[in-house]
Amino acid sequence: MRAEGLEKGFHRGLPPRRRRVEVLKGASLEVRRGELVGLVGENGSGKSTLMKIVVGLLERDAGTVERGGKLGYCPQTPLLWEKLTVEEHFELFARAYELDPAEAAAATENLLEELQFGRYRGYRIEDLSGGTRQKLNLALALMHRPDLLLLDEPYSGFDWETYLRFWEISERRRDAGMGILIVSHFLSERERLDRVYELRDGRCLET
Amino acid sequence: MPGDVSAIALSGADFLREHLRARLTLVMLIALPAVFVLVSASVLDEFAAALGGSVAGNSASALGAGWAAAFLAGALGFFQVASSREADRRLALAGMGAARVAVARISASILLGLLVSTVAFLTLWLTAGIAHPAHAFAAILIFALIYIGIGTLVGSVLSDPLEGSLTVAFVFLIDAFSGPGMSGSGGIAQLMPTRKAADVLIAAGSGQGSPSGDWIAVGLTTLGALLLAATAFWLSARPRSS
Repeated sequence: MRAEGLEKGFHRGLPPRRRRVEVLKGASLEVRRGELVGLVGENGSGKSTLMKIVVGLLERDAGTVERGGKLGYCPQTPLLWEKLTVEEHFELFARAYELDPAEAAAATENLLEELQFGRYRGYRIEDLSGGTRQKLNLALALMHRPDLLLLDEPYSGFDWETYLRFWEISERRRDAGMGILIVSHFLSERERLDRVYELRDGRCLET
Repeated sequence: MPGDVSAIALSGADFLREHLRARLTLVMLIALPAVFVLVSASVLDEFAAALGGSVAGNSASALGAGWAAAFLAGALGFFQVASSREADRRLALAGMGAARVAVARISASILLGLLVSTVAFLTLWLTAGIAHPAHAFAAILIFALIYIGIGTLVGSVLSDPLEGSLTVAFVFLIDAFSGPGMSGSGGIAQLMPTRKAADVLIAAGSGQGSPSGDWIAVGLTTLGALLLAATAFWLSARPRSS
């Protein structure tokens, strides 16, 4: 995935105090196959905006994004349906990813086991803790074995054990050839990453 | 193509299930038609007289059933868009596509409209009786479908539950109180979305049929409302610019 010269601004406030805030001012970054890349930046620096543009959820003002292969996206806030169960979410996304029933069942079982939340499969989202919602949020991004995985603050709400497991899962998939971009306001485990970008003043600087 | 239909149908069933699992929705589904048909209809003639109109008896009860279906469908239409906009967008991005998400959502909305209309109609039929049941049911369903369009339109503009609910309620009140038999038939009353549907419903309540021109008008209004709803769902599931 290669993003070049991304620009994005938003209008804020109401007239006569309406103003335009430029969030991205030519941000560029690249994630290659088999690479685990971090993107850090202060709160409000535009990390999630950049991620949404790369994913295709937000239109950009300028710049280009090139992506190849299947995309997996784990948003910062779990985007789920409160009254549906964990299992129904897997079914819904299996249809979106166009997985056949056997593939969908195998992916669901593997992810429930890998992230250790199988006992909640029949629970509705409204009955889950924040950490378990986040596990499902991550699992939905992984279930179709994407070539490129974009994770926006993926471990918020995880306990220590799950946090460590998250890194194991990420490294395993990276070693299998997946390109992974992890966005966070801080990354305490820089040694686990192949490269790190810092988003500052609307631009990405490789550190 | 069969895969598309199956994916849309199953996803529509999920969206429908999502609403029917909300206890408050189920309570309102029973309570609102009862309140509108039994309570409101009994005082509607005096209220209409105070506003300068006249509506009474079975026509008032029938109108109450239409309003109940309209209000419920409008609120459900609003929440279909507003409460799941971001999750729907994620699903579209995952491969479902904005068009298929929109068709699944509009299918779920029409089924919800059919459900609230059936409950409102049965309440009316069991309590007041009705001379033209088929006409009355069709008109009540049209009230619901028109308000699905209004609810989704509001939901595509406002996402805050309080602001959205109040806006749907405001449109509903203006529409209801300027309708036929209430404050008169001139001026803005002619432009209200359920105007012709209310004429048909009042006629059915008093045991009369309606001219074909009225049916064509309500058909076109309903089609417009459903197109509006489908567009609102589609826009909500697409990438956004801000």
